[in-house]
Amino acid sequence: MKSFARSVRALASFFWFVGRKARRTKVFVLLGALPVLMSLVIQANRLFTPGTSVDGPAVFSNIVMTFNLQFLILVLALFYGTSVCAEELEGKTLTYLTTRPVPKPAIILGKYFAYAAFLILVVAAGVALSFVVLHIDRLGDAASWLVLLRSLGVLALGLLVYTAFFTLVGTVLKKSVLFGLMFSFGWENIVQYFPGATQKFTIMHYLKSLLPAVSTGGEGSFAFLLFKLEPSPPEAAVVTLAVLTAAFLGLACWIFSRKEYLFED
Amino acid sequence: MTAVIRAEKLSKWYGNVLGLSDVSLEIGPGITGLLGPNGAGKSTLMKLLTGQLKPSIGRVTIHGADVWNNMALFADIGFCPEQDAFYDELTGWEFVTRLLSLYGFSRADAASKAERALHFVELFKDKDRPLRGYSRGMRQRLKIAQTVAHEPGILILDEPLNGLDPLSKRKVIRLIKDFRDAGKTVLVSSHVLPEIEALTRSIVLLHQGKILAQGDIPYIRDLIDKHPHKISVKGSDPRALAASLVAQAAVQNIQFGPEPGTVVFETGDRDVLFGLLPRLIVERGIDIEEITSPDDNLQAVFDYLVGT
Amino acid sequence: MPISEQGYSHWTGTFVERRLPWWPITRLGIRMAFKRKFFKFAFAISFLPAFIFAAGIYISERLEDFQFMLRGRRGSTSFLEVNPAYFKSYFGGDFLLFMMVMIMVLAGAGLIADDLKSNSLQLYFSRPIRKRDYILGKMSTLAFFLLLYTLVPGVLFILLKFLFAGSFKLVANYPWIPLAVLLDSLLLTLFFSFYTLLLSSLSRNRRYTAILLFLVYLFSDIFFGIFYGIFRKPGFCLLSIKANLQQVAAALFRVKPPFDVPWIYSLLILAAIGLACGAVLVRKTRGVEVIT
Repeated sequence: MKSFARSVRALASFFWFVGRKARRTKVFVLLGALPVLMSLVIQANRLFTPGTSVDGPAVFSNIVMTFNLQFLILVLALFYGTSVCAEELEGKTLTYLTTRPVPKPAIILGKYFAYAAFLILVVAAGVALSFVVLHIDRLGDAASWLVLLRSLGVLALGLLVYTAFFTLVGTVLKKSVLFGLMFSFGWENIVQYFPGATQKFTIMHYLKSLLPAVSTGGEGSFAFLLFKLEPSPPEAAVVTLAVLTAAFLGLACWIFSRKEYLFED
Repeated sequence: MTAVIRAEKLSKWYGNVLGLSDVSLEIGPGITGLLGPNGAGKSTLMKLLTGQLKPSIGRVTIHGADVWNNMALFADIGFCPEQDAFYDELTGWEFVTRLLSLYGFSRADAASKAERALHFVELFKDKDRPLRGYSRGMRQRLKIAQTVAHEPGILILDEPLNGLDPLSKRKVIRLIKDFRDAGKTVLVSSHVLPEIEALTRSIVLLHQGKILAQGDIPYIRDLIDKHPHKISVKGSDPRALAASLVAQAAVQNIQFGPEPGTVVFETGDRDVLFGLLPRLIVERGIDIEEITSPDDNLQAVFDYLVGT
Repeated sequence: MPISEQGYSHWTGTFVERRLPWWPITRLGIRMAFKRKFFKFAFAISFLPAFIFAAGIYISERLEDFQFMLRGRRGSTSFLEVNPAYFKSYFGGDFLLFMMVMIMVLAGAGLIADDLKSNSLQLYFSRPIRKRDYILGKMSTLAFFLLLYTLVPGVLFILLKFLFAGSFKLVANYPWIPLAVLLDSLLLTLFFSFYTLLLSSLSRNRRYTAILLFLVYLFSDIFFGIFYGIFRKPGFCLLSIKANLQQVAAALFRVKPPFDVPWIYSLLILAAIGLACGAVLVRKTRGVEVIT
């Protein structure tokens, strides 16, 4: 067990290093900074156009969080999650990993943790900076910071579970992008608005159940995100998300250990 | 010989295509050459031996343990893959040290091993260049560096001399021989026969997924009854020599040329002919410059067995 | 006749210059696209709007047969009127534009990315092919599909209207429609071709370029939605690729644009994006990559 953990740590460190140096990292960091840009434009407009009724906290919860939760984390998780396996196959570098004394599941887990950590950092930085920009005149309000922390928690959980799901998809399917897009912008974005128990078949439902406004009963903020939501209890939502993450990763590790991967010539 | 690598009745299907058929072999310390034309099954066998593929039938063991999903074995195995693929974002130094970190070496150990390996393949001065900027030969040398950096006891090399210049090839051949001299086990695959011949006389010849021959090159040659041995004699009076030997039962065919003064005898029994030659040389007073066996080599063995 | 030695022999014929040197590249690109499993499905689905609009043209001339559809609108002559707005609805339709992006993702994401990955550009440029032939060949692959969804249905709608109406009233009343169909088709084709090829040339990883293709289109629209939702200023429509295309389509068909912004701004933005894409694309497609 100790050596397995050591292998996972070594691989996570390896892929953190490799990922940091990749050219596309800059692109995705910029993507994560888009909400900050958006927030700056909105605040600048408020400053230079007196009389505008734009409320910073409302923009944060209804715009920035909607953008991050319903679009950005899905796209980031899709690309990085499917890359866990697909990247090694496309680049034909899988051999270097499978001929090292590291268990195959450790390869999946190590790379997953490295990518998930990177994504959480990118998204958290963007959201936190957006928060600061949009709450610039009320940074002393402790309640707002709690909203930020909780929102960051939801986004982090979202990244963990979606990245785990797409890791599984990338391990099973060769052409995972199309399936991922259909799942993200088809299933998740549509079924979450279905009434009753149907919406519980989406990951988004459980993430939205954890949003601050759900537990405080505040309907004003996060109104966009809570549209048609019939929330699950937060404890059940966290457990469900944790179980889903573990299940997706477990299945991905199991399949990866048993599957033979052939490089396309 | 204690077998280090053992394959027992190994077969591998890719769907309906048979990649490898009933291959059984034992590889012990020293250098074994795995050769065959393109599509013979060399890479399939290499992938089975390194656990990248699972056998459809049969078993592959290293030190008695099954290879498939047995990562602990790889602490002592160095594999040089055929494909030219790297993490292009990294530099040569980062590539070798980061891969070494997966063995559990400390940073200092990994650095010293990487330095030694890169010095050996003469890439140390280019260690900080991105891999994207490496030439084909540099990339091949880097692959060899990552194969040997952790000082394994078993080397499995898939076309290791591809893309190397003659000097680098000599260095790598020297390295492989040093490994052999240290008692390690080396399996080298190639379709370039002179490379294998420069490395070893112990070969496994694959063709269409099957083992055609296995063992010492001269031993295999002797087993090929269908093709008589050729003995080429160059001297002052080849016709007189030919006339002396034409009545011998051991001589099946005589040809003159292609070089002036040369006669080539085809015989089913080399030992008898080699016994006769010195006697005739002394009795007839024929001056002999050179006696060679033009087909006692890997190319001839390959041609006879593969039938090209 | 001399005896030829076995082995390589030099061909003694005369070379004929190809009139369309880019055509083999286009042919290959189209063939490779159809080899992909999901592409055939997406290709078929993308014709759905064309079928629906063609059916609409038929129904518009047979309204008396479909009176049952006109609940509370009996005798209405404005229902399903085939006019410039009808054509604009097709050419600026959300579903059609979205499916065109999906087709670009499936057929175009790897057009240059795969060549970069396999170092094929050197092989291309060691043949008597110029850079513009290469780019034209790749663009023509995309243009083939894009025109199938734009120009072909557009012309078909006009012909079907002539056929079912038994007259040329459509063109007589709205003489600009054929030109608008041609121009809008060319605009969509050129824009999406440049856009796709630029993103495909940015990486050797087809998966990454596929996601970028989808992402840029989607996010441009999302940002427009966000800023418009906050500020209620139609000028933000210039952020959205889709909105810009719809603005220009409305101008070409001479119907009221969806946003109260001069259409020329949208055209300039699309042109600027197209030119920028073209400039970067020309730089990216080189036989030899210079590593610094």
